[in-house]
Amino acid sequence: MVAAMTERDAWLALASASGVGETIFWGLVAAHGGAAEALRAVASGWKPRDDELRITRPTRAAIVSAFREPGTVARRVNELGLWTVTPLDTGFPVRLRDIDPPPATIFGWGDLAGLSAQRTVAVVGTRRPTLDGRTLAARIATRLVAADAVVVSGLAIGIDGAVHAATVGAGGRTVAVIGGGHAHPGPRAHRALSRDIVEGGGAIVSEHAPDTLPTRGTFPRRNRIISALGDTTIVVEAPGRSGALITARHALEQGRSVLAVPGRPGDPSVAGCLSLLRDTPARPLTGLDEMIVDLGYDTVVHASAAGGRLSLAAALALLGPVERAVAVRLARGPANADALITETGLAPPVVSGAITLLLLRGWIAAVGPAYLPAGPLLAADLR
Amino acid sequence: MLVLATLVTAVISGLRGELVRVEVDVAPGLPVCHIVGLPDTALSEARERVRGAIRNSGFEYPLSRITVNLAPADQRKRGAAYDLAIAVGVLVASGQIRTSGGAWALLGELSLGGAVRPVAGVLPMVATLARAGYERVAVPAGNVDEARLVAGVEVAGVDGLDDAARLVAGPRGRRAAQAERRPDLAVSGAGGSQRSTAVRTADSPAARGVPDLEASGDRVDLADIRGQANARWALEIALAGSHNLLLVGPPGAGKTLLARSIPGLLPPLDDDEALEVTVIESVAGRLMRSGLRRDRPFRAPHHTASYAALVGGGPQLAPGEVTRAHHGVLFMDELAEFDRDVLDALRQPLEDGTVELARARGSIRYPARLQLVAAMNPCRCGWHGDAQRACRCGDGEADRYVRRVSGPLLDRLDLRVEMPRVPPAELVGATPGESSGVVAERIAAARARALRRDGGRPNAHLAGAAVVAACRLQRSQEGLMRELATAAHMTARGVHRVLRVSRTIADLAGRDGVTDADLLAAAGLRDPAALPSLSA
Repeated sequence: MVAAMTERDAWLALASASGVGETIFWGLVAAHGGAAEALRAVASGWKPRDDELRITRPTRAAIVSAFREPGTVARRVNELGLWTVTPLDTGFPVRLRDIDPPPATIFGWGDLAGLSAQRTVAVVGTRRPTLDGRTLAARIATRLVAADAVVVSGLAIGIDGAVHAATVGAGGRTVAVIGGGHAHPGPRAHRALSRDIVEGGGAIVSEHAPDTLPTRGTFPRRNRIISALGDTTIVVEAPGRSGALITARHALEQGRSVLAVPGRPGDPSVAGCLSLLRDTPARPLTGLDEMIVDLGYDTVVHASAAGGRLSLAAALALLGPVERAVAVRLARGPANADALITETGLAPPVVSGAITLLLLRGWIAAVGPAYLPAGPLLAADLR
Repeated sequence: MLVLATLVTAVISGLRGELVRVEVDVAPGLPVCHIVGLPDTALSEARERVRGAIRNSGFEYPLSRITVNLAPADQRKRGAAYDLAIAVGVLVASGQIRTSGGAWALLGELSLGGAVRPVAGVLPMVATLARAGYERVAVPAGNVDEARLVAGVEVAGVDGLDDAARLVAGPRGRRAAQAERRPDLAVSGAGGSQRSTAVRTADSPAARGVPDLEASGDRVDLADIRGQANARWALEIALAGSHNLLLVGPPGAGKTLLARSIPGLLPPLDDDEALEVTVIESVAGRLMRSGLRRDRPFRAPHHTASYAALVGGGPQLAPGEVTRAHHGVLFMDELAEFDRDVLDALRQPLEDGTVELARARGSIRYPARLQLVAAMNPCRCGWHGDAQRACRCGDGEADRYVRRVSGPLLDRLDLRVEMPRVPPAELVGATPGESSGVVAERIAAARARALRRDGGRPNAHLAGAAVVAACRLQRSQEGLMRELATAAHMTARGVHRVLRVSRTIADLAGRDGVTDADLLAAAGLRDPAALPSLSA
């Protein structure tokens, strides 16, 4: 059993042992020259002389059982249909090596290639966005897809969800970095979205072993992976205390650029963005065209970008007059059924029918009482 | 001297009256009074009321051994409606009055002064007596109107025991009674002369013109409600098709206001419905001095009301709000704040239109074919999904809040409307919407159309096959419905929900068949069982 243990199995087993954080993991690997050696040493009673490397009794027990049963993690990985990648592997995403120390393992569903795509942008924001913030996040994501970028976010409720959904809706690839193991993949409300992300060629990744519960501490730490996976991090809407700000600061530390959506001073929903703009080298996002320029994606004209805009006009022409009136109104921004009735002057049954058709075609999405532009309507120009 | 008197009265069991015979035996012995035949507390106390009433009405309370038997003996008796029959029985058995000219059935509670008080459930009790062949019934003057709703019965309203005695004695017996009255007590009898001494016959004018404060309430006209075009439309559909409706919106969106406009929009009850509702009100003891109820019930219990008050029960197994809303609307404001037990208990009435109260003493089934209109906040703080104000609830809390109302209950609702806050500009500036009168006419017409078509069933009560038939879908619409169902992952229940609602939309527009537009409009109204979609 022990003889059959490969360095990679040992690596997975040690990294997945409960209580083993990055300090202990990298400390042990450094002290023993490898994970297999480290496992063997701890199992045979080795004690660190280094004061910084404090191994508690339960952690030691976990490491010992990992040594005895090194296949447990691999089995669980197989059960859940996951792949794993470690810094030992050549396929390990280069961007993650910018984290010091890099995550010991990445577990994932979907296509690993997305993490190493040529163009990647992280888009993050608050869990409690305004409807306008949600819409803007979706517009940004749609535009990034048109620029052939992979969109990275955190699968949380709110801006993250809007970003992933819009990317999938626009036919793009998106990478979701979750805060726990894959046995607890993000909020319940996002189960269907998770499936769509993987089916759309994206990935759902985590540095945690499959059965790790997401906790208060794991979310800020996964933010460093989100920021590292994106060449630029865009903060759409963030109040004064928001996880998105942590992501932005990680991005700056990792040498990435940051774009923040500005807003009106005194508006609590953008207070975090404003403080980023004032206190850090983050740049303001002033428009989708400017965003593309700032990202350096304007050098090559992508057929899909031009096609996306053309298709809006063409697609609008395909709609009946009633649906078109409702679609044109919603392309300008979110509205509830009452606003649609008053502003289009159409009767409630007519508006209700138009809403059904547009929802069916994926042109709009429903959030509470409001309807938001989606799909082709997101490609409409902001001005 | 007669020693045994037999009189007839009735008892309420559920919503039916049951015949009860009162036998009074006055025999020599120590002066005591026994009441036998499963009496409850109120009934055991009857002996005190009867003694007081007899003495204070100018009669003599016999100093003998009095035994009152209530038959059938196995039927549990409760309440005070037997007082009058017992007292008259004592008078007859002690020879103070003589019965003549056919039997009178007697209903009424007595006061110590000899006045007759109104009792609950007179209408069904009189109906039972009529069925049993009793053609003459004396009821408390306050219950005359409801008693007169029963055809073929001579109803006399009595104000006091002396009225009743005169009635039972007839022209000859009355003389005998008066002859035996003690002169000093005759004065005391006259002392109670605020009471009318004349027997109210069936055709005497009833005390009309007294407003029923409970029923009138504050009515809201739709013209007073600004904005909310979508919710107004949904309410119109709900009332036209008897669909259960859920209003979801932040505080101040106007949910309660909209609900309070419902009484002014409901069509009046038809004859059969009116009789059922009147019987229920009679049993609930809410029918004092009013006749047939023609207005559709609108009940709005507070969420702190007890289970017994809402569903029915208590020591009397009285009908609750769900039964009092029979053929009408039950409005439950702040639905998520009601007790879980109450919400679970709503499922049976919503499913089969009845509510069964099972207790140790037996079970009673009350009718409860109600239309539920419920209102709730979208989440605990109330601001989930608001355009301007951020919701303060945590992740998924809105989901959890809605889930407090269980899925099976939400499944029984056809319509859910999200009501946004009305912008202040619209509150002040907008032109008033249609008035209740206009909308009520449309509702009545659509209802009549539905009732003509489907054997008197509103659309909401159509079973799956019946609703498909009623919609008369063309082939192209079947295709559209399939497309809708596939795209929205609808269950069979969801498909039927859309069809029922589309049928009502077509009825409102006066169409025989359901069109594509009706189907799409129906599908655009939210499925109540769908949780708030916050993730997108």
